[in-house]
Amino acid sequence: MAALAMAAKDSGRVFCLFAGARKGAVSSGAVASWRRECSSYSEQLSSNADMPVPMDNPYKEPPKKCVLCGVAVDYKNVQLLSQFISPYSGHIFGRHITGLCMKKQQEVAKNIKRARQLGFMSVTYKDPTFLSDPKVCSIKYPE
Amino acid sequence: MPRYELALILKAMQRPETAATLKRTVEALMERGAVVRNLENLGERTLPYRISKHNQRHTRGGYFLVDFNSPPTVVSAIKDHLGRDIDVIRSSILKHHVANSEECMGMIPDSTEDKLTKMKK
Repeated sequence: MAALAMAAKDSGRVFCLFAGARKGAVSSGAVASWRRECSSYSEQLSSNADMPVPMDNPYKEPPKKCVLCGVAVDYKNVQLLSQFISPYSGHIFGRHITGLCMKKQQEVAKNIKRARQLGFMSVTYKDPTFLSDPKVCSIKYPE
Repeated sequence: MPRYELALILKAMQRPETAATLKRTVEALMERGAVVRNLENLGERTLPYRISKHNQRHTRGGYFLVDFNSPPTVVSAIKDHLGRDIDVIRSSILKHHVANSEECMGMIPDSTEDKLTKMKK
């Protein structure tokens, strides 16, 4: 592998030599131009304006926000909390169902448990008045 | 003095009796050196589950919220006093929650490389 690489390098240099010699013969400029054209030094001197400017990806999309980004979660807001529990068993949905970010999921879970203990929210079912709320969680029940 | 929130559930009673209970509670708070900021009525609702307290089974209750500032040493004394009041079904003292005014950064995908290097400890 090393031997092959060395051979490739040598042949490349030789090729450069010949190309440089040809160009040197045409232009009546510097005498040692063939040596310089092989290296990358010449590229830096010429065409500075054309080089790509380092910058952030201008087409980068802003990071996706979860449903509750910017919404304050409270244990008293039973209607909001009820959107993240099962209507049949009252279980809190996992993050793969609710689609919330880690921080908000933990906040919601903590507040649901708090509301249940303080007597604001029921444990085993969802309040019937909240059953017709818009569905936020992507839960799929088996047919 | 730190700010606390008292979530109070009172027995479903007539208006003058509820008023008397609330007055008693607020006076008890003030006696122990609490400064009551605000008293909110969240309405009378059916309890989410039947609660048995003081030899009675309750189905409906009046929800109230008391905002107050008090020294932390007094909190347990207040809780004790409320536990002995017959008209109080459930009481809970919580720290006043300050909503984070920081803007949510959005869901930044976790880099699996970082996670792996952290676990290697």
